[in-house]
Amino acid sequence: MLKVGILGTGTMAKTHASAYRAIDGVQVAAFADSLPGTLDIVAKEYNAKAYTNYDELINDSSLDIIDVCLPTPLHKENTIKALATGKHVFCEKPVARTLEDAMEVKKAVDAAKGKFMVGHVVRFFPEFMVMKQMIDEGKLGTVGIARTSRIAAQPHGVKDWYENMEMSGGVILDLIIHDFDYLNWFFGKPKRVYAQGLFKKTQEEMDYALVVIRYESGVIAHVEGSWAEPSGFNVKAEICGSKGIIDVEPYKEAPLTINLRDPEVKQAGVIVPEAPVEESQYTTEIRHFIDCIINDKTPRVTVDDAIYALKIGLAALESIETGLPVNID
Amino acid sequence: MIKVGILSCAHMHAGGYAHGLQLLPNVELVGIADENKERGEKFAQHFNIKYIPSYEELIQKVDAVVITSENSKHKALTLMAAEQKKHVLCEKPISVSVADAQAMIDACKQNGVKLQTAFPCRFSPSFKRVKQVVDEGQIGQIIAINGTNHGSMPGGWFTDKELAGGGAVMDHTVHVADLIRYLTGAEFIKVYAEIDKKFHPELNTDDCGTLSMTMTKGIFCTLDPSWSRNSAYPVWGDVTMRIIGTKGVINMDMFNQKLNLYNVDDRKAQWLYYGANTDAGLIKSFIDAIENDTPVFISGEDGLRAMELALGAYLSAEKCQPVELPLVK
Ligand SMILES: NC(=O)c1ccc[n+]([C@@H]2O[C@H](COP(=O)([O-])OP(=O)(O)OC[C@H]3O[C@@H](n4cnc5c(N)ncnc54)[C@H](O)[C@@H]3O)[C@@H](O)[C@H]2O)c1
Repeated sequence: MLKVGILGTGTMAKTHASAYRAIDGVQVAAFADSLPGTLDIVAKEYNAKAYTNYDELINDSSLDIIDVCLPTPLHKENTIKALATGKHVFCEKPVARTLEDAMEVKKAVDAAKGKFMVGHVVRFFPEFMVMKQMIDEGKLGTVGIARTSRIAAQPHGVKDWYENMEMSGGVILDLIIHDFDYLNWFFGKPKRVYAQGLFKKTQEEMDYALVVIRYESGVIAHVEGSWAEPSGFNVKAEICGSKGIIDVEPYKEAPLTINLRDPEVKQAGVIVPEAPVEESQYTTEIRHFIDCIINDKTPRVTVDDAIYALKIGLAALESIETGLPVNID
Repeated sequence: MIKVGILSCAHMHAGGYAHGLQLLPNVELVGIADENKERGEKFAQHFNIKYIPSYEELIQKVDAVVITSENSKHKALTLMAAEQKKHVLCEKPISVSVADAQAMIDACKQNGVKLQTAFPCRFSPSFKRVKQVVDEGQIGQIIAINGTNHGSMPGGWFTDKELAGGGAVMDHTVHVADLIRYLTGAEFIKVYAEIDKKFHPELNTDDCGTLSMTMTKGIFCTLDPSWSRNSAYPVWGDVTMRIIGTKGVINMDMFNQKLNLYNVDDRKAQWLYYGANTDAGLIKSFIDAIENDTPVFISGEDGLRAMELALGAYLSAEKCQPVELPLVK
């Protein structure tokens, strides 16, 4: 039995906990949260220990895996401490808030006994896995243009840490870092980045960015990230090559809509589209991580992958500030 | 009765404009002049009008001309018509250099004739609705626009730099550039572009790219003018805009009024547009301006500003640096 301790009891902590629960041979044994709030409820639901101190959970020798689901600036310190205990560590994206922090994490990963993976979960979405396969098989020929979009309303986390641009890095470091990662997965090494966006330029509770990445392979990628939508969440990707085009808008692909009549109210009800999956992509991701631990494999997302995604994000923030393209080394 | 002649049908839009002219009761479409006899005669036959080999001769017979020649010939034909005191509707892009466009604007002004640039997208009912919603302040202040004008590689003179002034970027920047200027009332002050040739290696022009534009009023935009649509794609291309405002977001996909056609001989799915005829709207506005002697809705200056963005994009891509606009102060 592999025992997991989760840092945080917010949205992702709960998502990961339910993923571990779905996997045989794994048990969520502890949660930690420095802030009062949901710790006791969540711990009780999993019949797990509740720590109010992260170090105590990290040093709990009965645990095999530490999963870091804390706000981004807290990733580095806790990841490094957890790796030092020899435990396996899963950390939510982005790997760290700054490049310096990320390089420290890398040093710790290189020296660590345990496995390490960052939650760039899009690599586990079946539609993006098929997309990569089509590119790799040459179905698109030489790729020229990639356009992706990830749009949502401004998220609200505990103590409004998402709205705090210093903490979250805004829509670029928090949301479209997903796109940066899978584009790197598709196209290899990024060369330069040019971006425009609202980062630190608005008092409004919103963020929006348009980022252009030029890859060494020549691919021009355009990434739209929005925390400016009044509501909803949508994802789009379109890759165009000399022989083929592939596109997807996964949240629009609903094989099912359920339309219920409400006898109590006169006006029309809400039609709820659904795309049922056999298992959540987060579970697939965690299952892969567990497989890497048990069978001593290299995780699909390496620390270097996470660093390259972060580099694009940081370059985009720099470009917004300077108005100039930023080279990636 | 306003007598109109078409100068050259090198550009395929000549057909749409001829049709638009023939729809109007107060217009007599006198004929087509074209240096290519075969092309001109075929066109004349199709629209049941006269073919006149000489541009000068046709210009003598009319009150106004529609110029649908190769881009680099717009200037000479415009000057020829203006000197004979004939009004001009000129296909986009207005020209291939700022100096040529300025000469066209000046010639029409000096001769007291109207010069309109052919941007039919302004007459799309969807776009008109967008303009209305924005003008009413429903989405607050515009923050950013994410636009595309994808197309298929048109071949012929469109890929001859001498005649077209460029490739995809020259061809497909100007429509959305004009919509953005008209919608926001802002001007482009800076452009950064990544431009390449990835889809048709045999060409000697670019076929794809992405432009990032900074505008007055603090607005930023991107635009993808790529000829990225291949022969297997269900439609020729698109005009899309996502307009992000402080109080809301508008998604426009201008030609997304379509039937799906699945025909075994075509061996691909096709989208058949059934929306409004924007060419007819463009032609009517030009004729109305002549009839009522009112200013044209889309000026030569509008044409110049849109074309200048494309020229700036080429300069930027060459230097790998943003370029300030206007190019000529
Ligand atoms: N992979 C994905 O799809 C995905 C989705 C959302 C979030 N994330 C990432 O997961 C991580 C956690 O995000 P979340 O949405 O679960 O956040 P959340 O706000 O829901 O939870 C944050 C947790 O951290 C604790 N915390 C400790 N110190 C805090 C502080 N100073 N401010 C705020 N909270 C503090 C909170 O009590 C809570 O348990 C972030 O790094 C985020 O980027 C990933």
